[in-house]
Amino acid sequence: MAHSLLDPLFSAMGHLLPFGFAEPLFMKRAILAMLFIAPAAAAAGVPLVHFRMAFFSDAIGHSAFTGVAIGVLLGVHPLLTMVAFGLFVAWAITLVKGRTELSPDTVIGVFFSTVIALGIAVISAQKGLTRNLQAYLYGDLLAVSDTEILWMGLLLVAVGAYLFLAFNKIMLIGVHEGFAKSMGVPVRGLEISFALVVALVVTTAIRAVGILLVTALLVVPAAAARNVARGIVSAFWAAIAIGVLSGLLGIAASYYLDTATGATVVLFAAAFFAITALLKGLSRT
Amino acid sequence: MTPPAHRHTLEIRDLSVHAGETEILSGINADIRCGEVTALVGPNGAGKTTLLLAILGLVPYQGAIRFCRAAEHGEGAPRIGYVPQRLDFDRNAPMKVIDFFALSSQRYPVVFGHSARSRRSAEEILARVGAAQLISRPLGKLSGGELQRILLALALRDNPDILLLDEPVSGVDLSGEVLFCDFLSQIHSESRFSLLLVSHDLSVVSRHADRVICLNRRIICQGGTTEMLTPENLEAMYGSGAHLVSHGPADGRGHLHGRAASGQEEEKGD
Repeated sequence: MAHSLLDPLFSAMGHLLPFGFAEPLFMKRAILAMLFIAPAAAAAGVPLVHFRMAFFSDAIGHSAFTGVAIGVLLGVHPLLTMVAFGLFVAWAITLVKGRTELSPDTVIGVFFSTVIALGIAVISAQKGLTRNLQAYLYGDLLAVSDTEILWMGLLLVAVGAYLFLAFNKIMLIGVHEGFAKSMGVPVRGLEISFALVVALVVTTAIRAVGILLVTALLVVPAAAARNVARGIVSAFWAAIAIGVLSGLLGIAASYYLDTATGATVVLFAAAFFAITALLKGLSRT
Repeated sequence: MTPPAHRHTLEIRDLSVHAGETEILSGINADIRCGEVTALVGPNGAGKTTLLLAILGLVPYQGAIRFCRAAEHGEGAPRIGYVPQRLDFDRNAPMKVIDFFALSSQRYPVVFGHSARSRRSAEEILARVGAAQLISRPLGKLSGGELQRILLALALRDNPDILLLDEPVSGVDLSGEVLFCDFLSQIHSESRFSLLLVSHDLSVVSRHADRVICLNRRIICQGGTTEMLTPENLEAMYGSGAHLVSHGPADGRGHLHGRAASGQEEEKGD
């Protein structure tokens, strides 16, 4: 069913991208997946960076380690347990953060090491698991299935809808929590729901670039956009553009250079960051 | 003479706030009357900011905070404007002043641009606080005084019944401070909101406040400004040996601070 839905998109891509690298079906799949994932990740990345939550998204990414292991252990599809466990960790971190005097990065640090230790413990007890993990550690965009692509499309719609409703309020909390509360913004609810949305984006994007690099997909485009943008409008759209461009350029380059797709995508995003940082430096002098 | 009719009053009755085992505030009884400037003074850790947060409903408390509105002036919950002591936001954040206004006034995301209505209301209120030229400037690049004006403008936008200002002149230089205070009293005389002002600067308090509440975890004293700022009360609040010190210009516009015997100046809030 998934394939029949995507077929028209694939044939349209054949016309829009008349390049050698876009010919094979697995490349069309990879490009389409990236077109869904990159804007969702970049869009969620803008408030994420505003909130200084890069470390949080990294912790969620690494929780996938344990999530996958649990899935294999239980005989459930690892994708499901990975998303569920990521959501659970996001919820737990947000809850603990709100109820302790410890600084947020300390709380996240504790969770970060705990989920990785748990993952390693589970994996080391199950000998056959290591091979299974490769795809999750480094990402495997070229092997993404039609069902997964549909899931990524749904994610893009969900993230878009969430941000449409909550973006203004979330950004206001990032400026001053008490001030936002005094204007009637439901701070706690938004903190938790945003953490869950980030967890959803992170765990879905792992299929594209892997656990080790997933944070880059959210943080680097938003950070690069910050170098050149003066207001929210330009910062947001520049982040989306940089995310999508690095995704497409990375896929194309990895095809010709025979490098890992996820890593190549992130390298392009990093290049955008370097260029915008230079531009910022130049505009100052 | 009959006392002046007040449009509303904020009544604080037997209020206490705890943080775990520690009692931050206890037995607070006070009235904040419409149209008056009430100053909240007290040393570091006296619970001044906590009292503001309780009024805003942002910290849990025991006791009652009642808002009484005179019948002829309508009903409903009071609109409370709040200007926090300082914003600890990321100064490099790409956010213009107009973005900040639009974030709190328009429904659709600011990434799709600013609605005509939010831009118009921002322009109007910024002009009122004399900051119209700041509308397109990045928020993080503003000086302390400019940022205070922006926050004040935002707090005034919805015509508050009560305006809470937490250390409005901390982080502002002396000339900026005099400007801000003069400007504040001008705005205040135009609109009839009640103003509750946390300040360490007793010269600001003595020049602008009608009433003073001296706080140090409980109420030390409250009443008219001139009767309250006596050496005895300052001593009860700041500790023995407290006295007023003056610095800045000698024309009476300099700072006056309550100073404790230890010589430690009370500058920052709690």
